[in-house]
Order: sequence, then structure tokens, then C-alpha cells
Amino acid sequence: MSQVLRGHAEQLYAQELEELKKQDGSKLPANWKLSPQSVVTYLVGGKLKNGFEVSPKYIGNRRLMEIAVATLTTDRALLLYGLPGTAKSWVSEHLAAAISGDSTMIIQGTAGTSEESIRYGWNYARLLAEGPSANAVVETPVMRAMKEGKIVRIEELTRIGADVQDTLITILSEKMLPIPELNTEVQAVRGFNVIATANNRDKGVNDLSSALKRRFNTVILPVPDSIDEEIDIVRRRVESFEKIMEIPAEAPALGEIRRIVTIMRELRNGMTTDGKTKLKVPSGTLSTAEAISVVNSGLAMAGYFGDGRLTAEDMAAGIIGAVIKDPVQDKIVWMEYLETVVKTREDWKDIYRACRNMM
Amino acid sequence: MIHTLGIRHHGPGSARNVKEFLEATRPDIVLVEGPPEADAILQWSNNTELQPPVAILLYQVDNLHHSVFYPFAAFSPEWQAIQYAYEHNVPVRFMDMPMTHTFALRNIDKDKPEEPSFRADPVSWLARADGYSDTDKWWEKMFEQRTSNEQVFEAVSEAIHAVRELAPPDKDPNEPLREAWMRKIIRQAQKEMYTEIAVICGAWHVPALTTMPSQKEDNDLLKGLPKVKVECTWIPWTYERLSFHSGYGAGIESPGWYDHLWEFPQDDGTRWMAKVAQLFRSKDMDTSVAHIIEAVRLAQSLAALRELPRAGLEELNEATLSVLCNGESVLMQLIHDQLIVGNKIGSVPFDIPKPPLQSDIERLQKKLRLPATADWKDYILDLRKENDLERSIFLHRLQLLQLPWAEKTDISGKGTFKEQWRLQWDPAFIIEIIDKGVYGNTVETAANAYVKHLATSAASLKVLCELLENALPAELPHAVETLIRQVSNQSAATGDVIQLMEVIPPLVTISRYGNVRKTDAALVSGIATGMITRICISLPGVCTGIAEEAAQTLLQLFLQMNNAVNMLQEPDITTQWQQTLHVIAAANNTSPVIAGYSTRLLADHKLFTSEQLVQAFYSAMSAAVLPGTAAAWLEGFLKGSGTLLLIDPDLWRVVNNWVHQLQEEVFIQVLPLLRRTFASFTAAERRKLGEKVKQGDSGTQTSQTEYDIAEERGARGIPVIMQLLGYNNNI
Repeated sequence: MSQVLRGHAEQLYAQELEELKKQDGSKLPANWKLSPQSVVTYLVGGKLKNGFEVSPKYIGNRRLMEIAVATLTTDRALLLYGLPGTAKSWVSEHLAAAISGDSTMIIQGTAGTSEESIRYGWNYARLLAEGPSANAVVETPVMRAMKEGKIVRIEELTRIGADVQDTLITILSEKMLPIPELNTEVQAVRGFNVIATANNRDKGVNDLSSALKRRFNTVILPVPDSIDEEIDIVRRRVESFEKIMEIPAEAPALGEIRRIVTIMRELRNGMTTDGKTKLKVPSGTLSTAEAISVVNSGLAMAGYFGDGRLTAEDMAAGIIGAVIKDPVQDKIVWMEYLETVVKTREDWKDIYRACRNMM
Repeated sequence: MIHTLGIRHHGPGSARNVKEFLEATRPDIVLVEGPPEADAILQWSNNTELQPPVAILLYQVDNLHHSVFYPFAAFSPEWQAIQYAYEHNVPVRFMDMPMTHTFALRNIDKDKPEEPSFRADPVSWLARADGYSDTDKWWEKMFEQRTSNEQVFEAVSEAIHAVRELAPPDKDPNEPLREAWMRKIIRQAQKEMYTEIAVICGAWHVPALTTMPSQKEDNDLLKGLPKVKVECTWIPWTYERLSFHSGYGAGIESPGWYDHLWEFPQDDGTRWMAKVAQLFRSKDMDTSVAHIIEAVRLAQSLAALRELPRAGLEELNEATLSVLCNGESVLMQLIHDQLIVGNKIGSVPFDIPKPPLQSDIERLQKKLRLPATADWKDYILDLRKENDLERSIFLHRLQLLQLPWAEKTDISGKGTFKEQWRLQWDPAFIIEIIDKGVYGNTVETAANAYVKHLATSAASLKVLCELLENALPAELPHAVETLIRQVSNQSAATGDVIQLMEVIPPLVTISRYGNVRKTDAALVSGIATGMITRICISLPGVCTGIAEEAAQTLLQLFLQMNNAVNMLQEPDITTQWQQTLHVIAAANNTSPVIAGYSTRLLADHKLFTSEQLVQAFYSAMSAAVLPGTAAAWLEGFLKGSGTLLLIDPDLWRVVNNWVHQLQEEVFIQVLPLLRRTFASFTAAERRKLGEKVKQGDSGTQTSQTEYDIAEERGARGIPVIMQLLGYNNNI
């Protein structure tokens, strides 16, 4: 077993990528490892002609993935936008892995991301010793991706300051990066493109400058459509978590996952699943990712502190923590939900009691 | 020779194919799927004032619930066939089973649904066989978006033949009758010595019309069909309504897009995107040419990725969303309303017969003796009389339908059984009537359906409650039920407690006393109690940290809420309310006016022992409290209760004793505060309070009143007054 905590997508799914490549009959865009159709198959899963089963990476609307891939075949950059926990980074990693066979060209956007970490920096020892030369240039992932014709990922684009964001404009529209100190430039090789992700719920982050906005095609990743889709996502991710963490707990019953997902969905949508009762919506996002983490932490609780079976008590703390982000408003919302919905459901008595005890 | 052209209703590709086919083969008669009753009004179709989209409306004269619309747009194959026939002076006939029989059969078989039952989408088998999940998309790709129409009708015919061979027999007993009737009309045409017969019908019927069974078999089927009286007319139609289900079965989702396809068959998406850009610019959104270029490119690469010959509406929409809207689907609604559906409206000549809702209104006007006049006329209705009550219901319903014919005016005098209306008719109401006609064919059904529609789209509780108030006198039980459910839903979702509190009193009144018109009070009281529970949960939070003016409004609502709770007399609710009051009165940061008032209400409910009351009062009025706060608390505590203070010994004792024990300098300090409260009492109350203090009593005795009247001087004035009043001096 590998000592690495988490492998890159192209390593974890090397076999799938290999099979897809073998079966690929359609035309490849320059420097792509797979055809656009195969990239979509890799993302949404499916059965290949030789019966090989490709596992779904993104569970949801296939059309969104088609738009994303079609965008990358044109010379426009792709912006994945959405609530926290809607698999933006996950999708961008797999897109890069499938298209370039390399998901490591990544820049994590923060408030401290500077122009040097997007364009290029200098190795100052060299710079002092040799003066400005190509050897003294420190290449960023963007520059390397341009030279090698690969996909570069920029995570959390809107956390980068607006002035720094704008350095991307030349790269996106002219597809080149000038190095005035050396009087040269780096021209992007075919196959180069940018996938950025940004979050539309965060407060206090920078806006996307309108000049940059025009250079991106935006795909909004939504929260899952149906409850079954969401349960499927949670189940798959929890299973992979169990494997990695080697938790001694029993696999959670589908019923438990269904309850968690139901609570999250009902509160997020402000409506019970039977559509009969409207509810107030708490301030948190209650994304699928949060449902996953509630189940995971419940499993850990059950495994290390309980009898290994996931019970309502193990999850109550997690649920309350996920729902109540604002101690005043969210508490009212949660109490109302607890009293009007949870209490009335016959087989939910354990959750009701567990949550009541925690409050 | 019979040419049978299988089409999809409202398919622009089919329309083009039909047009080209007719021009090439030049038939000498055209038969179109549709009700033969409308043959008579087909002559209107070459009238220049008849502009599509229009519809043929057929209805059963004595039962308006039975009606059907056959809409036509410029891109309907049927419309193109009719147009061709009139341009080339060829006879054209409708060839479906007459509605007179269809309606009559429906009368016999009441259990069947109103809408004709659709066959379960036969084309979907073909689409699935080809690996498509969406039937419409498959059909569009295979038949509608094709640019060359060579042998397309043969292909359709063969495909449907194959499906019908495998399809289970149709459950709808009317289907064989309809097809037999179609064959009958074709035979009729043959008998009349027409040689080139073009038949335009839904693709599904093609096999049944190409292989003819014996004439006798059909005649036996069609023997002795029941009949009812049916009338038909042309009415203007809109693209929006084309997207409804009616007449020809399924509505189409994107009339505007089809219109575009019909007008510009060769467009590769550029012109469409330009339209989108124009729309965005007209709404002051910056849209550059570069945007359009990128969007068209994305749409085309999407089409390539999906292996489509060219970008369809979906690809264009996805490109628009991604490039122009930055992924936000809000603007897509605009495109949907303005372009994809479109706002085109058709027109019909003036001298054409009328729609059923109008007939129903006219019938009721006659029956209730409320003639439509151009001049206004006032009516005073006494709801205890049956005819007047019916009139009132009728007028209320029309009001709900937003027909501004009648206006309710205020009437003097007490009692809820009188209403005054002013009536004035305007010929322009016909538009409103036709518009509301989609909701139903009688005033009652239309009003019910329309109110339901409003209820589901209403944004605020206030609007809903207004609707509810108006719907009650209109006697629309179904609509009222929907409204009540909506009210309960909205009240659950709203965070605005004040809004909830505003709604409570009328609801409680309805539930407590019922209504003159006997509405189901239990339903209303159910939601009222639910709302009170919600209010009780959130109210303590609302009462903290609010401005003084807001506190005053809230105080009014408190008063009403308290009355409402008292009126309900439900022990559960009362306890809940009292608990909430406890919380509010005890919380430190509650707005003082409200805290004071809550304390008073609790005292009124006798939930405080006199000890506790004294304690609460003293602590609120203690010296450490800021003077302004204390004054506000006292104001709340004594709100509107000058008389109460006079007659409630406990209350009196608390206040009186408190004033008594104040030291002089403290008293002078709080005097302005006291004055502020007492100034709001009436002069008479103040005087009586003063007298009571003068007696220096704890307040258990009834106070005596004394008047300082000089009787002698008064007596001298009496004769003059008698004279003024017209009494004889001598008495």
C-alpha cells in the first residue's frame, strides 16, 4: 500500500484512463490524451465497448460536463462556480487528469497569491551571480503548462486580489506570457488551458474582474437534483473514506445516510421532501460535502468510542454542528425543524431524542 | 392517388416539408386532421385580419365544460396546408371525427378524463431504439431539422408502421372511431372524383389511413354515434398558450424557437445569438460581439461533442448560459419568456362568434337581471334575499377574475348583509374574458382556477390573506382550500413575525364566528393555531433591540394578538401565549414598552401573585433603571387602561403604593415620566383617578362622584332652554 495519504487522480484512476485511451476512436484535439467524448465518459462513468466499467467521478447532470469539456476544446478558459462542497475542485482535478494526464499544475488562490506565483519568479542567488538569464527564472505552474501544452488549475480564483487576477488576462487572450527582463516570451503550446474554481457563497472575497469574466465560460455546479443522487454521492465518498482511514466501524446502513441526506436537503430547500411543509432555511450551505463529513465523523465516533454501529447519537453532534452556524437565527430554524418535522416522523424518534439531548 | 403526409403538430420542419410537397405534387383536394364542424369557418383563414397564432375553439353549447382548442401558428403544418389550399383555389376539409360525437361520447363515459387520453408516446420506442432518452429531440434531429425533405414522409410512414405493428392495442375506444372517420372522409373525396388527394395528419395515424379496411367495416363502427350541439369560432391565441396542453394534444415548449426555425431555416445559431444579444442590450446589459462569437463557437463545439449536425436550442441555451450569463440562470428566464416562448399574439376579425366564458357571463347577467350597460348604475344588495346573494357571489367572482365591471362601494348602516355595487360595462373586457377563458369556461370554474393560480404564485402573506378575504364572499370552496394551504405554507417560511401577527386577528375572527356564508371554520382555526405557535417561538427575539416607533406598532399587534388568543379559547394556545409573555417580560433586553405591557397582560391573566406583580413593578421602576426606560415600561404597563386602573383593585394598589413610598426628590424626578403615561388617558379618567387618590384609599371601595353644581343658578337658565326647544313657556 502506498505511503502517500492521497494519490493524484491520474495515479488513482490510471487503469481507467489507460482503458479509455485504448478504446478511444474519435479525433484527439492537439496534445489531449483523450478525445472529448472519452473525457466526458471518464467523468460521468459508463461501460466501454470491451465491457470495462468506468466509475463515475461526477454524479449529476451529464450536460454540465459536456459544456465543461466543450469549453476546453475551444480556446476559452473554464470557470467552475458554485456553493462550497459541490465538487468543483474534484471535477477540475479529474478534467486535468483526463485531458493532460497531469493534475499537478495547480495554483492555490489566497489573498497572498502574488503576481510572481502566477507568471514567474526569480531565483535571486542566480540573478545576482549571472544577471537576468533564462536559468534564473523560476517557472510557475502556469508557465510550465503553457510550455508543455497542459491544463493548469487555479483554485479559489476569487480569493486572489483583483490586481493579481488581471495578470491572467494576457495569458488567456493572447496565449502568451512576456518576460520583458529577458526580452522574450513564452507562447502557449496547443492543449494549454486554464480551469479556475470559485465559490459563490464566501463573504469578503474579491469579485471576478469583468475583464476576466469575459474570458471565462462559466459552469455552475449545482447541489444534487434528487435525493437518490445525493445519497449515492454520500455513500460512495463515505466508502472510500472508510477504506483510507481504516475505521473499525461497520459500514453505515443506507437508512442512516438517507436520514442525514434528507435532513440536509429539507433544510437547504426549505421544504420537506413530500412537498407539504415549508421550512425556514439556515444560513449555512448544507452541501453534500457536509453530509459526507457528518457521516464520516459519526463513523469515527461509533468506531472509536461506541460499539461500532452508527447510531443517532453519534451523528447528532455532527448534524447540529453543520446546521447551526449562526447561534441565534439558525437555532430557531433548527428547533422549529426538530419540533415540527423530526418529532412527527415515527421512525425518527431516536434522532429527535439525541438532538434534544444535545441542545 | 392518395398522399398521406405524417407530421408532428406544430413542427416547423414538418410545415416546410408539407409546403414543399404540396407545391411539388399539386393535389386537387387537401384533407387536414381537425374537426369537420370547423369546415364552415375555414373560409375565414384567408381573411387578412386573421393572423396566427390563432385557434379554433369548439364547445358543447349546453355544457361548457366540454370544449377544445385547436391552435395554429404560422409554422404549423396544418396551417401551411390550409394556406396552400386557399392560395391555389383547392378545396380543403377537416377530416377528424366530429366533436359533436366526441363530446357526446364523453357524456356517456363520464369516468374518462376530460382530456383525450394520449397514446403513450409511440415515437419514444423509436427514439429509445436509437439511443435517445428524449423523444422530442430525436424527432427534431431526424425529421424537423433536416434540410432536404426527400422521401421524409415515406420514412415517417415506414417507421410508424413498424411501431404500430408492435404496439399494444390502444386503450382509448375513440381511436379506432377517429381513424374510421378519417378513412370515411378520404373515401368521400375519392367518390367526388378527386384524383390527387393530400392527407395531412399526425404521424401516428398514417398506417391506419394507407391500408384501408372494407368500407362496410368502417360504416358499422360509425353507426349510431350519439350527438350533441357544438359551436365553434376563431379566437386569437398567443405563443405562451401554444405551450399549454390542449386540442392537438401536447403543447410545444418553444414556440418562439420554432418561429425562428421557420423564418430562418438555415441559421447556424448566429442569428439566434444576435437576437439574444439584442434582448440583453435592450435590458441594459452589456453584450459585446465577442460574446456572441464565443457563444456560437461553444454551441457548435457542443453540437460536435454530441455528434449533432448542428447546434439546437439546447446547445445554444447552454452556450448562452455559460458565456453571456456567467452561469447564472436568472437571465435565462428572460430569454425563455421573450424568445423561446415569445410574446406574439394573433388576431381575429371582429365579426366572429364568441368564447364560452363570455356566453356564461351573458347567461348569468340575464338570469340575475344585471344587464351590461355602457352607463353606470348602482345596485344595493340585501344578502338575506336569495337573488341578491347570487348576484353578490357573481360580482365577487368577476372581481376575482379581474373583470373591472363591478366596483364595490362602501355603504352606510350597520350589518354585514348589505352591499353596494356600481356596474359599468366596457367592450374591451372581452380580452380579459378570453384571457381568463383558459382557466375555465364558466365563471365559477374560471374563478376557482384563477384564484388557485394566483394563490400558488402569491409572494406575500398579505396578498394571500387579501385573496382569502375576497374569495370567501365569492363562494369558491376549492380556491379557499388552496389559499388556506398556501397561507399555512407561507407562514411557515416567513421570518417576519410582524407579518404573521398582522394576519392572525382576521383569521381568528373567521374561525371563531364562522362567516355569514358558512366557510369551513375548522380549517382556518387549524392554521391560526399553527401560526400562533410559530409566533410564540420567534416573538421573544423580535422584541429585543427595536426602535421606539417599531415598538409602538408591535404593541398594537400585541393587543390584537392577545384578543385573538382570548377569543380562540384553546387552552393549549393560551398556555403557549402566556409562556411567551413570561419570557418576554422576564428578558432583560426586551424593549421596555413591550416588557411592561407583557407584564400587565400576565397580571390580567392572573398569572402573577400580587407579590410577584409588586416585585416586577418595583424592579422595573427602580432608581437604577434609566428614566427613559422606566417611563417606557410604565407606559406599556398602563397601556390604555385608565379605566382598568380605576376598577382593578390590585393594579391600583401596586401603582398607588409605589407612588406613596417614593421620597419627595425621587417623586419629582419621576414626575415627568408619570405625566407622559397619564397624559394619554382621557380627561374624565384622569379626573376620576385624581378623586380616587384624594380619598386616599387602597381602592377596594367604589369611588363616589361629586359634582360641584350651583343648582339655583342653573335653574334660572331652564326656561330659556325650554323655549329654545319649542316647549310652551307656561309649563
